[in-house]
Amino acid sequence: MAYSEKVVDHFNNPRNMGSFKKEEDGVGTGIVGAPECGDVMKLQIKVENDTIVDAKFKTFGCGSAIASSSLATEWLKGKTVEEAGKIKNTDIVQELNLPPVKIHCSVLAEDAIKAALADYQKKADSK
Amino acid sequence: MSGHIHNTDDRRELQMARSMCWHCQSEMAGEYFCDRCVKVQPVSKDLDYFTCFGLPRRLALDPQTLETKFYELSRAFHPDFYQNKSDAEQTISLGNSAMLNTAYRTLRDPIQRAEYLLDLEAGSVKDIRTTPPADLFEEILELQDTLDEFRASDRASESASTLRTKLHADRATLEQRQRDMEAQLLQLFSRWDALQDRGEATEQARAERGRILKEMRDILSNRTYVKNIVNDLVATIA
Repeated sequence: MAYSEKVVDHFNNPRNMGSFKKEEDGVGTGIVGAPECGDVMKLQIKVENDTIVDAKFKTFGCGSAIASSSLATEWLKGKTVEEAGKIKNTDIVQELNLPPVKIHCSVLAEDAIKAALADYQKKADSK
Repeated sequence: MSGHIHNTDDRRELQMARSMCWHCQSEMAGEYFCDRCVKVQPVSKDLDYFTCFGLPRRLALDPQTLETKFYELSRAFHPDFYQNKSDAEQTISLGNSAMLNTAYRTLRDPIQRAEYLLDLEAGSVKDIRTTPPADLFEEILELQDTLDEFRASDRASESASTLRTKLHADRATLEQRQRDMEAQLLQLFSRWDALQDRGEATEQARAERGRILKEMRDILSNRTYVKNIVNDLVATIA
């Protein structure tokens, strides 16, 4: 099975790789894993005035998982918190042309977004 | 694998379909061959791998028994013996052989066997998906950072040598944990088998089943995460 051009591109030039300090104001962190393949994904958002101004990821897994999270961070930037919650794994599948066996990678990315948003919300609420 | 899981209605239908020989339409008494016309019968998609080999649904399994049964059925279904038979029989022989090989590969390996049992018992693995092991994730991310640091370092430097020592120690710890998990898994295997042997239909037995399955699911997924990081470790410090 060959990776699509877009997956290869994200894999070779991952966007927004790295991390923020978890404790930092407005930062939401989501760490998720796929028990089927053992991939681990960390995705972080930085929110100012309800808008995601920056996003970063670190993924240890296959090319599709890296590409899915890389794409997710690109999409997250500039979105409001509400808009970000509407990103669906199927959008990622479509954009990256993921084959059926790699769909769980996109699910992982959606889970990571959700977890990061939830973490951000929890931090914001506790203030 | 999900193809083998059906709701009760499907199961009833399939069993009825299978109780009749596809060729002579006579009532089927034999397992894989019609008693009357001796034609090979397609292995029902509804048959789980354990039943396929005539084994009880237990996790402790004698590899010798499995192998013997596998060879026996392999001979019975082998496409070579169907070259001069009808197209329908050739197709059945191919299908049965493929299913048999998958079944054998799955049951032979204890981990795959456990994964398969979880699939059978839970309908789907997702149903007993566990809360993600947050501590383990943190640990893995931290280790990956150290690995990155080591990869970027000048191997001759003192800091690289300190990192290498640390990574070797981490590897030993993780490998020990892998052994512990395998041992825990084997314990769960015996608990499961003992419960199955007792065959109780009480509320307690049901709860115990659920607990065992969930614990197995947990260990199996944690095992995959640990295996990945150990592989990365070994590849980097080798």
